[in-house]
Amino acid sequence: MSYRSSVDIYTEWDIVAARQMGRNEAKKTGFGTVDQARITTAISELARNIYLYAGKGKIEIERISENGFFGIKIIASDEGPGISDLRKVMEDGYSTSGGLGAGMPGVKRLMDDFKVVSEPGVGTTITAKKWLH
Amino acid sequence: MPREVGRQYKEILKKYIDSQSEEDLYVGQQFSRRFIEKQIAPEDVISIHKTALLELLPDLQEEVWDSMDFLIEMMIHYGLTLREHQSLIRKQEVMQMEMNVATQVQGTLLKTSTPNVKGLDVGWVSQPAHQMNGDYVYFLNENQHVASVAVADVMGKGIPAALCMSMIKFGMDGLEQGDTDPRAVLDVINRIVEKSVDNSMFISMFYGKYDGCSSTFSYSSAGHEPALYYHAASGTFMELDAKGLLLGIKTDVVYEEHTVEMQEGDFIAMMTDGVTETRTEEGFIEIGEIQQLLKDVRDQSAQKMAEHLYNELAGLQEYRLGDDFTIVIFKKDPEEV
Amino acid sequence: MLQKLKIRGAKMNLQVELLEQDSIQYFKVIGEIDAFTAPILRERLATVEGTPNLQAELDLSDVDYMDSTGLGVFVGFYKAVKANGGHVKITGLNRRLSRLFEITGLSEIIDIEKKESEDHDATI
Repeated sequence: MSYRSSVDIYTEWDIVAARQMGRNEAKKTGFGTVDQARITTAISELARNIYLYAGKGKIEIERISENGFFGIKIIASDEGPGISDLRKVMEDGYSTSGGLGAGMPGVKRLMDDFKVVSEPGVGTTITAKKWLH
Repeated sequence: MPREVGRQYKEILKKYIDSQSEEDLYVGQQFSRRFIEKQIAPEDVISIHKTALLELLPDLQEEVWDSMDFLIEMMIHYGLTLREHQSLIRKQEVMQMEMNVATQVQGTLLKTSTPNVKGLDVGWVSQPAHQMNGDYVYFLNENQHVASVAVADVMGKGIPAALCMSMIKFGMDGLEQGDTDPRAVLDVINRIVEKSVDNSMFISMFYGKYDGCSSTFSYSSAGHEPALYYHAASGTFMELDAKGLLLGIKTDVVYEEHTVEMQEGDFIAMMTDGVTETRTEEGFIEIGEIQQLLKDVRDQSAQKMAEHLYNELAGLQEYRLGDDFTIVIFKKDPEEV
Repeated sequence: MLQKLKIRGAKMNLQVELLEQDSIQYFKVIGEIDAFTAPILRERLATVEGTPNLQAELDLSDVDYMDSTGLGVFVGFYKAVKANGGHVKITGLNRRLSRLFEITGLSEIIDIEKKESEDHDATI
């Protein structure tokens, strides 16, 4: 039904490609400059996590609509080591103190809706949505 | 985005661009509080600025607008950091509340009542350096003639020390029926602690028992600071030391036990290292100074003496204690006629 | 020849140098050991404490001050090394530190060597 664009993350350059894709889609959806920057930053952080911790994975972007609202959905998935303690990575101060950037709580704040499914040894899938207000 | 804020911002900005006066800057500074109150993120502030500028000076070069977009991008992380900071502050408030409750629980749990033995005046002060106390005082008033005290210092300070302390408390509570001679008490507590604590954790404890029938004070020490014994007749101090290893390091420790006979006016001061290791800008306090401070007030009640020492030493540290501070004084009253 | 590296840190700082000589792990500790710096020492010592039959020597001649947290680190280290059949020796204690080891009874169970020149206190 809806069109999904996707970027594979292998190198740091792919992070830039994912950002570009996200910005284009955000613009098309009708987001303003600030929200475009927020969405792009979220994508950037998610892609960077894949690049740093899983080695490879992909970022998919989808324009979505629900009950007359329009928005954007980001899906970041990898088959990396997974996250053993989800509660910990969602804690403020956990990732930032180690210099890992905005971390999961940051991504969650930038978006309206945030979901993580992770299994150690299998991989992680993060889904985040932002709605046009 | 609150449109009203944007409109007001534009007006203030316009005034400033026209006048470039300090007054308008001051208005701007006041207005920035509203941004903060309304929790407007830094990236939104720039966006508001850009929008206002577009309306005021639409003919600026294209590069200016592009650079604004760049600045918005730059501010996203500042915005996140700010929100994280705010959330950490809320978290800290919650922790502080939990700490307050924990402190109350500790206070109730570790409550001990000053013993009442004829001819013996007891006074004590125990003040934590932080919120929770790592020093512990436990009195045992076996009968009208016998009063015992345990003065313990749990390694470290704060919460870990406080948790460890409840263990000692329950160990001591179990003693009431058993042998309450100092060496036996330390032996029992050592076994409990040894079984229950982490490798690098330990407790020092001084245990003293006063028997009013014989006016004798017997004591043992598990790696604790020696007590000070003031001999009134000669006006001199003596250290009451007894060999014995810290609690919790190994089992089968032999604790020495000694006894002194107390005369009228004699007193014994049992302390933790928060007293003896009082540190000022000039260095550590000498034990002689502590002795002198106690001697100065030897005619006052044991409680007054303990408080005097606390006030003097806390004063030296400008009331910021470096370590938990505990002193217990046993003083033999002059016989009533 | 054993070279003692001495790097003076700022106050509240602690430095731990590891120098190996033959089969002895020689640690030179410089600074003050308190609740803030003790974790540095603990972490450093933890890297070797599991070694079977470890022969460790800790030189504290440049440690002016240590509180009970510091003592805790040495107790933990001593227990771990002993459990693995090793030996711990602590040297260079100034008067204040050596009193601390004596009062606590630790000098009875840990191999302790006082500072050579004990007539004048090393704390400056």
